[in-house]
Order: sequence, then C-alpha cells, then structure tokens
Amino acid sequence: MNDSATNNETPILQGDDLRKTYRLGRVEVPVLHGASISVKEGEWVAILGSSGSGKSTLLHILAGLDRPDLDSGDVRYRGAKVELQDGGKTNHYRNKTIGFVFQFYHLLPELDVLENGMLSNLVPRGKGSGIVIFMMAIIGGFLGAWLGGMAAGDWGLLPLEERTPVRSVVLSGACAIIGSGVMIALSQIAQAIILRTRMRSGEAADLARSTLKDFGLAERYRHRPRELSGGERQRVAIGRALGSSPDLLLADEPTGNLDEQTGTAILELLKEKHQKGLTIVMVTHDPKVASYADRVVRLRNGRVLEED
Amino acid sequence: MYVALLANRYLTSRIIPWIAVAAVALCVALVVIVVSVMSGFLDMLRTSGKTMMGDVVIRFPISGIPHYEDLLEDLEALPEVAAATPTIDTFGLIEMPYGTGDGNNMVETVQVWGIDPESFNRVSEYEDILWWRTPSMEDAESLPSDDLRLDPGRDRTEAAMSLKDPATGAPGIVLGMHISVFNERRADGTYGFQAGDTNYWMPGKQVELTLVPIKGGRLSIEPESRAFSIVNEFQSGVFEIDKNRVLISLQDAQEMLRLGSGTLYDQTGKLDPETGMPLVLGESPARAIAIYVRANEGFTPDQLRIAASEAYDRFWSDNVDREDRTVKPPSPFRVSVMTWEQQLASIIAPVQKERELMRILFSIVYIVCAGLVLSIFWSIVYEKTRDIGILRAIGASRPGILGIFLIYGLVIGLLGSIVGVGLGWLVVTNINAIHDALGEPAPIWLTITTFTVAAVLVVFSIHAAIKGSILRWLLGVIGFLIIGVVGVGLALHQGFLLWDPSVYYFNEVPSKMDWFTAFLTMGGAVLFSVIGAAIPAARAADTDPVKALRYE
Ligand SMILES: Nc1ncnc2c1ncn2[C@@H]1O[C@H](COP(=O)(O)OP(=O)(O)OP(=O)(O)O)[C@@H](O)[C@H]1O
Ligand SMILES: [Mg+2]
Repeated sequence: MNDSATNNETPILQGDDLRKTYRLGRVEVPVLHGASISVKEGEWVAILGSSGSGKSTLLHILAGLDRPDLDSGDVRYRGAKVELQDGGKTNHYRNKTIGFVFQFYHLLPELDVLENGMLSNLVPRGKGSGIVIFMMAIIGGFLGAWLGGMAAGDWGLLPLEERTPVRSVVLSGACAIIGSGVMIALSQIAQAIILRTRMRSGEAADLARSTLKDFGLAERYRHRPRELSGGERQRVAIGRALGSSPDLLLADEPTGNLDEQTGTAILELLKEKHQKGLTIVMVTHDPKVASYADRVVRLRNGRVLEED
Repeated sequence: MYVALLANRYLTSRIIPWIAVAAVALCVALVVIVVSVMSGFLDMLRTSGKTMMGDVVIRFPISGIPHYEDLLEDLEALPEVAAATPTIDTFGLIEMPYGTGDGNNMVETVQVWGIDPESFNRVSEYEDILWWRTPSMEDAESLPSDDLRLDPGRDRTEAAMSLKDPATGAPGIVLGMHISVFNERRADGTYGFQAGDTNYWMPGKQVELTLVPIKGGRLSIEPESRAFSIVNEFQSGVFEIDKNRVLISLQDAQEMLRLGSGTLYDQTGKLDPETGMPLVLGESPARAIAIYVRANEGFTPDQLRIAASEAYDRFWSDNVDREDRTVKPPSPFRVSVMTWEQQLASIIAPVQKERELMRILFSIVYIVCAGLVLSIFWSIVYEKTRDIGILRAIGASRPGILGIFLIYGLVIGLLGSIVGVGLGWLVVTNINAIHDALGEPAPIWLTITTFTVAAVLVVFSIHAAIKGSILRWLLGVIGFLIIGVVGVGLALHQGFLLWDPSVYYFNEVPSKMDWFTAFLTMGGAVLFSVIGAAIPAARAADTDPVKALRYE
C-alpha cells in the first residue's frame, strides 16, 4: 500500500475473462462467461446484479476461494497470477492479502467474539510450531519405546517364556505411540496456555479488540456468535476480515441481511476504513448501497458491464 | 496456535467428544477385561500342567539309567539347573480300602510314580500340593471351620516327605485327591465331608499296589504286589493327575520293578560252572527312568533343555567306555530331553489353540471397535465441514486443519484408552468380588432403591408429558423401562455361579491383569482414534472452501 504511487497503473486486482459453469449431472448452469473486472488501488467498487446473477461466484473466484473453469482467464493480484494449487501462496493470499466478508457471516460457533475477530491473525502458523510438535512426537515416541522395552524386559511385564522379540517390539511400538501421543497432547496444552496469555495482551488481540470496539462490540468479547444478532455477527465478520490488515476487502452483500439503519452503520464503518486507504470490492443488489462506492459495475448475463 | 485453540474448543464445548471418549474407553475395557481373564485362565490351565514336573524332563528307555546319581550331580552343577530329581513311572493297579458293594474291594488303575521326596520337593514344590498339611494362616481363614485340616494332629507332611507310615514304618503311598471316591468336590471348591465320615480321612489306611516289573528290558510275566499304607493325599489342581497318580518312594518302586541295585546275572542262561547257579556278571546299579530338572531363575526351559541334553551327552561319553561300569547308560539317541511343554504337548496344544482362537476372535472385536471409533469421528468431522471451509477461506493450511483433528482424535483416544485401561484394571483385579456379589441374592436395599428410582422416573415422565417436552418424556419412559427391568431382575436374582469351581477346577476367577494386551490396546485405540479423525478431516481440508461452506 505504501508504494501505491508507483503501482497506480497496474490494477491491484484484476479478473480477466472469468468463466464458471456449474454442472449438475447433465444440466449445465453457466454462471460466468467471460467476466472481466479491474480494481485500482484505493478504489471502492460495487458489483450490482440481480439475485442469481453470479455475484457471489465472481467474488469467490477473485478471493481465491473457488476455481474458475479450465478454459477461463485468470485472476491477477498486482499483476501476479493467483493460483489455487499453490498451497502456501494461496493460503497467504487468502489470509494476508484478502479480507473476505461472507454473505452469511460464517463465524466459528465454538469461538467467542474476540477469538473470531482475531482468527485470521492466529491462522498463519509460526514456522517453528510444526517442528516443535514433530520433535515432541519423536521424543515421546522414543521415551515410550524405551519405557516399553524396559517394561517388557527388566520390569517383567512379559513373563520370561513370552518374551519373544516380536512381542517386545510390539509392546515397545504400542508404548511409543502412547508416549508420542502424550507428548503431543502436553505440547498442545502448553500452546493453549501460551495462547491464552496472548489473548489477554498481544498485538493481534489488541488490534482485534480495537476493531471490535470501533464496531461497537466492546461489551461482547466473550459472547458466542449464537448470542449475537445478525448485524452484530456481520460486524464481527468484518472485524475478522480486517483483522489481518489486508490490502483488499471483498464483501459479499455486507448489508444484505440487515435493516437499513444497521446497514448504514456498517457502510459508514467501511467508508471510514476506505478513507484510510482500504480497497473495497463489494457485492450488492441494492443501488442505494452501491452508491457508497466510487464505481459501480453491473453483472448481467455472466459479464461485467461498466456503469457510469 | 489456532490448532491448539480449536482442538481445545472442539473438545470442551460439546458432548460428542465425551461420548467418543466413553466409546473408546468401553471398547478398551472390554478387550482388556476379556483378554485378561481368558488368558489368565489359559495360563492357569497351562501352568497347572507344570505341576509335579520340572521345567525339563530327561526320559530314559524302560530299562532306566544306571548311575543316575552321578548324572544328577553333573546336572546340579550346571548354572542353568536349580534342582534335579530321579523318578520312576509306571502303571499299576491299586486295591482301595473300601468295597464296591459286592464283597470285593474297589480296584483302580493308576499311574505310579516312584519319587525321592526331598529332591522332588525342590523340583516341583511337592510339599505345597499335599492335602493333609496344616494350612497357612491366610488359607485357613477361607476354610470352613469343620475342615479336618485345621486340626494340627492331622498334618501328615512328615510322613509324605519320608513316604513311610509314621506308626509302623511300612512303605507309604500318597494318593491323588480324586482316587478315593469319597473325595467329592463341591461347587465351592471344598470337599465332601460329614462329621463321623471315616472314609474322608484316608491316612493310615492300607492299600495293595500291583506293578509289573521289568526284567532285562522285557516285561516280566509275574506281577508284584505290596501293601502300602496311605500317608497323605495330594491335590495338584489338574484333574487328570489327581484322578490317576499315586506316589511311592523311589526305592520301593525300584524294588518292585527290579530296578534296584543287586547282583547282575547273565540273561542268556549261562550257568556258573562252579556253583551251577546263573552266571554272575557283576553288581547291577539302581536305576531311574526319568529325571526332572528345574531351571534356575532367569533361564527358560528351552535353554535348560539344551544344557541338560549336552550334559547327558558328556555323561554318556564319560561312562560308556569305563571298565567299572557293568551296565552302560543308554545312548543319547534313545534318551529324550524335553521341556515340560513338549512333554505335555497333548494338554498344552489345545490350550494354545484356544489362545490363538481367542486372539483371532479378539482381532475381530478390535476391528469392530475400530470401526465404531472411525464412524464416530466421521460424523463429528463431517459436521465440522463448514468450519473447515471457513478456516480454509481465511488461509488455514491443509496440514493445520489436519492438525486440529489429529489432536482432537489423539486426546479422545488417549483419554479413552487411559479410562478404559483403568476401568479394565478395576474390574479385573476385583473380578472375584464381583463374581461373589453376582453369586449371592441381590441385597434388599439395592432392589428397593432401584424400584424407588423407577417410580421417580414415572413421575418425571408424567410431569414432562404435561409440560410438553417429548424428549424428557421419552428419556423418562426409557429410563423407567431399563431401571424397572433391572429392579425386577434384582428381585428375582437368587445368585448364580458363573465360575463353577467343580467345572473349572480353579477356586478363583483369574484376576491377573494382562498388561501386554492393555498397552497394545491403548496404543491401538490411540492410533485408531487419530486415523479415524484424520481421514475425514483430510477429506474436508482438500475440498475448496466454497464447496466446504455449502455443507450446511
Ligand atoms: N454449487 C453450485 N451448483 C450449482 N449451481 C450453483 C452452485 N453455486 C451457485 N450456483 C448457481 O449459480 C448461480 C449464481 O449463484 P451466486 O451465488 O453467485 O448468485 P448471486 O448473484 O450471489 O445471488 P444472490 O444475490 O442471491 O446472492 C445461481 O443460479 C446458483 O443457483
Ligand atoms: Mg450471493
């Protein structure tokens, strides 16, 4: 975002000739056939279209959540192709580059508001954590195998005449599994404890808190999604999308399920973020909502039509 | 981080994982309990075959082994050997001191063992199986107060150890517990005894034992009979042995079978030219037919067998060329050295087969349990597909998703298997108490409590029906039916014996925990839980987020 001056010419997000056809047995539902869209840095674009015109589909493809057809063109982020195959890069794109607000909130029911809000911050895994777990598993495995071997031999768990090498090895193996299981479980408990302290005081938690506070959810950090109203849920979802400070916010009808007043409040929130430099692509079927955008495009017959 | 967080939340915020823990625990406990009891039982059967036997038996041709004392010395010098004892075994007829009702005395066919009590005791704990000996303090507690053995005057250990009648010095005999028809085993493992019943008390009574002696390696046609005084009885725990075997002293057996020391005459009919009597070839040494050897601590019967076999080879090559040995020991080819398991193959083999069968049956139970765990996890993870889609949409990696459910499965598997093994251990170690409780009519308070609970449940379900909760009503009705049936069962229950000692021959249900199986089952349960959670999770992690999100 800081080098926006130099990048002003290349669009931040570009979809070229996107095609998507749903196939249900023999029935083909062509949704997108050659939709192209280009979004400049710092822009707020609204995609208007009637219900079923493929707005969500387009947005999902732009966010790297869904695959376009094989003969489709591609999605480019700052000129670089976004591919769904590439695990690490795709995850980074979804996590850091894009903030996505779903049409139906999609919060995790087991997490509270704060945890949901900071989830996109928690998701990128520390490089070390996999190695730590692996090491713990190995150590636990060896420890278990050693204890199992001792038990089979010196501690007389296996009577002398039953102490065949096979049985000893099997016993050691079983103990190795139990041992590494115990160690992994312990390391996870340790991680959960570390996480708990981080939830109290940590950069990510502070960011999520301040965002949620801005959204008027300061009193509700400990609540579960099912205890919130639709509007509140939507605000948590937007908070989550903004949690990782993405370059781009893709929002699928962020006000679709809300009354006008709440919808306006949310749009005002977005406006505030937009004024701070956030690029927004928003899907809506409501022209009033679309009026918040800098630019409105229309999705019709599977193509994007510019509108002045 | 989110892996630990979500695994933790999925585990703690719902009931399903606890149902899964309970399912794993019950499967583990089931396997542990049944395998422990079954293999404990088979172990008892197997090791009971070892009673009255060492770890290894060296068996000679029917003409026996001369100079066995030297071989015993050689054997006892080996580091593998704890003790060795010479025996003679043959078959005979015994005339019991009671009649059949038609004027004749009862005659039984028996297996006769001539033993040297002192070394036999060191090899096979002979003293422990004697019936007429003062019971230990603990054993005495469990005996009925009218048991004759509680009277110290009835202790005949001394007599059994000398195999001589303590009063007359006549040859003594020890009978297997089931040779006398008056020793009738009762269901609780005690023996039939009525006050004033003289037949139960056998020591001191006379029997007549008839054996067929051996002459020059061939059977003699003249049987030899002798009167023996019963000095004791034994209960080895193996019905076949207790029903058939009698013990006499090695010396008596040698004499009766013409295996004792004496003058060696020429067998071909040559006469001494001077006396006109059969030609004297020299001194004939006493012989034994089998030597039982007990292994030292830390040596397996197989190791001992090899050592004993080598010792005999050495003994033979030392003796075969010695001038002063008029009777040579049999060649090693004619001598069999076997472990007790080989010797008892006919008893052990079916037990072993049963054990294998049990293992196969239990692998099926294992698979059923594994399938159960798998399907539980499948439905749990399936339900979470939408969450997985959300997580993938905000950039969670596939391994991360997998990690959540691996840990989820791992914790359930670990908890379940630990609880299961704990449960199994409780049941196995208390199985005799449980068995005893089952054997008695249910206590009246328990029956009353059960009916009270059933009545409360009826009230509860009526209340629920009025209030309009169909679930509570249903639970109430189901609870009432179950508790009610249990209550009726308890009221009708007069106690039943699952483990009938007169059938199984052991007084107690085996209560030894099979730790090998326990650990194996634990490991398996953990593994299956992890796999069971991992497969559906991997499947969900592989689907594109938008597809996963449509699972609603
Ligand atoms: N998985 C699918 N299988 C088959 N058809 C689908 C699938 N997903 C979407 N469609 C169809 O594709 C079309 C576009 O769907 P999409 O969700 O993109 O519409 P939308 O413009 O977002 O509509 P709305 O305004 O109602 O949200 C619809 O006709 C829908 O029925
Ligand atoms: Mg839509």
